[in-house]
Amino acid sequence: MDLLGQVLINGILLGGLYAMMALGLALVWGVLNIVNLAHGAFIMLGAYVSLYLFTYAHIDPFLGLPITAAVMFAIGYGVQRGILNLIVRAPMFNTLLITFGLEVVLTYLAQLAFSADFRTINPTYAGDSIVLGPVVLPLARLMAFGVAIALTVGMWLFLLHTRLGRAIRATAQNLVAARLYGVEPRHLYAVTFGIGIALAGAAGGLYGTVSQINPYIGAGLTAKSFAISIIGGLDNPLGVIVGGLFLGILESLTALYIGPTYADVASFGVLVLVLIVRPTGLLGKAA
Amino acid sequence: MKALRIMLVLAAFAVLAAVPWFGSDVLIQFGINALLLAVLAQGWNIIGGYTGYASFGNSVFYGLGSYGVGIAMAQWHLPFAVGLVFGVVLAVTFAVLLGIPVLRLRGHYFAIATLALAQVMTAIVSNVELAGQNIGLVLPPLNNDRLFYELSLGLLVLATLTVFWLTRSRFGFGLIAIRENEEGAEVMGVNTTLYKTMAFALSGVFSALAGGIHAYWVTFIDPESAFDISLNVKMIIMAVFGGPGTVLGPVVGALSLSAISEFLSSEITSLASLFFGIVVVVAVVIMPRGLADMLRRFRKTGWRYFAENIRTHRL
Repeated sequence: MDLLGQVLINGILLGGLYAMMALGLALVWGVLNIVNLAHGAFIMLGAYVSLYLFTYAHIDPFLGLPITAAVMFAIGYGVQRGILNLIVRAPMFNTLLITFGLEVVLTYLAQLAFSADFRTINPTYAGDSIVLGPVVLPLARLMAFGVAIALTVGMWLFLLHTRLGRAIRATAQNLVAARLYGVEPRHLYAVTFGIGIALAGAAGGLYGTVSQINPYIGAGLTAKSFAISIIGGLDNPLGVIVGGLFLGILESLTALYIGPTYADVASFGVLVLVLIVRPTGLLGKAA
Repeated sequence: MKALRIMLVLAAFAVLAAVPWFGSDVLIQFGINALLLAVLAQGWNIIGGYTGYASFGNSVFYGLGSYGVGIAMAQWHLPFAVGLVFGVVLAVTFAVLLGIPVLRLRGHYFAIATLALAQVMTAIVSNVELAGQNIGLVLPPLNNDRLFYELSLGLLVLATLTVFWLTRSRFGFGLIAIRENEEGAEVMGVNTTLYKTMAFALSGVFSALAGGIHAYWVTFIDPESAFDISLNVKMIIMAVFGGPGTVLGPVVGALSLSAISEFLSSEITSLASLFFGIVVVVAVVIMPRGLADMLRRFRKTGWRYFAENIRTHRL
């Protein structure tokens, strides 16, 4: 029972982080109708930005998150403005293909710049944990979970209540009408993509404190983010929290009862199943 | 004009067929790889180019074909041909069992579902005892690169003739109708589920045969290399670069991109993958309908062709 409790806790802590990873993908998908296959590569880049800030500038990975997010926002803004805006109206397949190409380029450049070695961001408190009755809460994971949930909820409030958030949602609903009300779409698309990438980068920074990173982690994380967006649905940013927790717990349980190599099989299996049974997401509105 | 084109294709084929008799070993080995990639691109063309279902999981068929040959030859000591058939049976079974549910999805959803399938295959096969788990299988060696070259070329010709048949058969018209308007096709009496599944299976058959030939040629397979996801990137890029939904586009795309990437990787190792990434990004922006369309229109519009592509698709 203690083991099961611990595994559930681990799953929940991991799930919070997964939710934040998926949030950026869901935002870009929902608003720009681009499924960004390079999303995981941006998570990976964010992890390296945090790692370098920590290693060379000695900035704590949690305190450095705003810097990581800012750097990634700038990259995201540039990519959307310079490349993706050029093909926004092309068929869906072209946007998939171009982001696939971006992921190949980013992964390659990362391998060139950072080498293929596994790295971790190791602050002094990395090994600390809080013992809570029968279960142990690793401090870094707990903090990553807290920050991830706070940012996800904050993002939701931002979209609901700020002027920029409303403009983003209006664009998602009806581009032409939003334009008539004074939204400048090229800028707004770039800002939205930038926010999505900033979230991905910050999630990467957190991921680097709880797990090993290397240039190749991107593809798997993209697929997980996609699975979470599908499970949670794109209509409500809080859906990703449900999706993330679900996936985190599922992976932990599969690793315990069936075997660690099957954790990914379980999550992608669920993805395919959900797609077939209910393509708008378990929590999404019916099509 | 038409006769000229046929003559050109035949001449190109004759040159390709003669390569093993005048080329160096390195050239033959490069040729086998390039031809097998062209088969994959042509196989993808059937489901992605003609039917309009962008599969990101055709590497699964390739892997199943590799393992069909691998299991038959290394575990059961059966001849190569039986292995190829076994691989094809595996691929068709997969295409039917998973194709029927997955082909109900459209657009992004189909693409990602197939990508997810491609991602789980490595983990699944790593746990199958018959497939040698994650250690892999060693096949009996056959040191005859000429034979493998001609086999690969033969397979490419077969795949290309099949695609040519699509352009003038009822079945092919059905697939194109599905691509252009699936509801419309259904209303006109096309059994869309059957047609899509058959296209997926046909695409799988060629990919599996390519995988089988490759497995016997390199005499060693393991889950990582047989179900390599980056193969999807390559075959899709080659087909799209050459011109999806055309008979020769994917072949031209595959052979030309293979040649450039081989040249680059002999200059600087592993620059090839960066090159593929950049080609996709640039090609999608300035020539989204591939070489075939570009060559056709470039004569009329000249350099404006690229600018017009950007103008129609930008925000």
